[in-house]
Amino acid sequence: MSSTRTSDAVAGTTTGRLTARGLTLAYEDRTVVHDLDLTVPDGRVTVIVGPNACGKSTTLRALGRLLKPRGGAVLLDGTELSRIPTRKIAQSIGLLPQTPVAPEAITVSDLVARGRQPHQHWWQQWSDEDERAVTSAMERTDITALGDRSVDELSGGQRQRVWIAMALAQETDLLLLDEPTTYLDIAHQVEVLDLVRQLAAPAADGTRGRTVVTVLHDLNQAARYADHLVAMKAGRIVAEGRPEDIVTADLVRQVFGLESVIVPDPVTGSPLVVPGAPWSRPGPG
Amino acid sequence: MSDTTVRVRPAGYHVVRIGARGRFLLHRRAAVVAATLIVLLAGVCVAYLCVGESFVAPGEVVKVILGQPSQNELVVGTLRLPRMVVGLLVGAAFGIAGALIQTVARNPLASPDIIGISQGAGALTVGAMTFGVTSYTVLPYLSVIGGVAAAALVYVFAWRGGLHATRFVLIGIGFAIALRSVTTLFLTKGDYLVAQQAQIWMTGSLNGRGWSEAAPIGWTLLILLPAVLWAARAQRTVSMDDDTATALGVRLGRVRLGLVALGVILASVATGTAGPVDFVALLAPQIARRMTRTAQIPLFCSALLGAVIVVFADLLARKLFSPTELPVGVLTAAVGAPYLIWLIIRGHGGRSGGTA
Repeated sequence: MSSTRTSDAVAGTTTGRLTARGLTLAYEDRTVVHDLDLTVPDGRVTVIVGPNACGKSTTLRALGRLLKPRGGAVLLDGTELSRIPTRKIAQSIGLLPQTPVAPEAITVSDLVARGRQPHQHWWQQWSDEDERAVTSAMERTDITALGDRSVDELSGGQRQRVWIAMALAQETDLLLLDEPTTYLDIAHQVEVLDLVRQLAAPAADGTRGRTVVTVLHDLNQAARYADHLVAMKAGRIVAEGRPEDIVTADLVRQVFGLESVIVPDPVTGSPLVVPGAPWSRPGPG
Repeated sequence: MSDTTVRVRPAGYHVVRIGARGRFLLHRRAAVVAATLIVLLAGVCVAYLCVGESFVAPGEVVKVILGQPSQNELVVGTLRLPRMVVGLLVGAAFGIAGALIQTVARNPLASPDIIGISQGAGALTVGAMTFGVTSYTVLPYLSVIGGVAAAALVYVFAWRGGLHATRFVLIGIGFAIALRSVTTLFLTKGDYLVAQQAQIWMTGSLNGRGWSEAAPIGWTLLILLPAVLWAARAQRTVSMDDDTATALGVRLGRVRLGLVALGVILASVATGTAGPVDFVALLAPQIARRMTRTAQIPLFCSALLGAVIVVFADLLARKLFSPTELPVGVLTAAVGAPYLIWLIIRGHGGRSGGTA
């Protein structure tokens, strides 16, 4: 099967600060991602989807320099990540891992404040700029009231918002989120994804929003929230483009091995994948 | 605050302005705890100088410390004060060392006397004693070398493309056991007198320590002070998970190595001075953290608490079975061992409670 790669307006005309060229990723001797090329469109929400173990989280880790490429490179503004000091990268790329661990008994505001790390110096541990960034990050994630609470005692949804606030306080142009909706119930999932969309929205003065790359498990949520959808299978990109252009029954079969019917989402009009082969489907005749 | 909007600062911290650009975060509770510990330490120190074979009034002790003439100059100034200063410095060094190693290992059970540093120092020192090196000018240096070498081995063996915290602790415990049996081997080989001398050293004792022992560890602490200040800041990010710390621009490998190296040097020098005073490095940081309720282990409070523990324990060691003097390590172990058990039991209870 040849891949149905759709070049579309988003990837074609807009620029991308973050790109991957011939990226090959491996753990020990197991190659997970093969020769992958990707341009992350600026100011958009890019969502990577695919079945378990397709290499989507691995790709995201490499984009955030958490994993060294076996071959190829990730480029930020045309320079290989491995050639940029990690602190410098942290001023441009924020990253929220799948299961971040907070220091024991840390307070919410203390944790969010640590997102300012790449902007601080030993002799300047707290600037007005830090205060503004932390205040605004906590407002955006609606956790201002939780500031003095201990992170340990929060609910899963609140905790995830705190982590996102920490990544926001870093005030990076690019934000990588590794399955930010895992462990959350449906209402909190929607809440987090709505926030992601707001982040990428252009500001009132016309400046473009942040660039977000996120890995999601749920194909329907991906199709609903993505500007740019990347479908991966077995370490390769099978298709990428606008969800309405690339999400077809064919693609779902090819990527997930699932028979489905695609209908427009009654709320947003984005493609909605309805599994088409229920367990009790009677045989023909 | 003239601002109408609510401004968020890290909860519990106070921003201290120094000069035009200097802005430092000061944890309020930690500052109060530190002040309290300083007062407590001063009290314990005065008590230490008062109590002994003969009792000296606190007023006289203060006179001697301030350098005023007193008839107790000999007992307080010459006999008790140097030994107390050694205990104070050893305690502070162990406190900081324990805090740093626990931070990197992300484990309250990790401390120099658990992960093989004390045992490395012990093996080399006792080995040297058995082969006839008994000079107290050489032995401390050997014990520093032994401690650093053991730590380096643990670090290298625990390294597999990165430092895994749990592996670091487990390999350390393995090395500790192995090195201890090496020490026992030396002890059985050596003659009776050497064995007895080594035995006392291995328990950790301030007996016979004076200014000549205080000077090297005092200088070490002073020289390493800038590094300790750096470490206090670096600890903040190392206490997060690896991915988050890296995402925040921390060069994790280097920072960790720096923190461990600093902790190992301090622990080795302290061990070289007084022998492995058990459990101080384990206890002081954890108690200090519970007192300050900071997210990371407070270095300064750990140092103060380490000093309080060692000076107080040595006071008891001198007085409890007077005129027989116990090695100070016996007392710290008597308090530390139950604490260790409690820590393990509580740790398990907490974890199963969390997942239930």
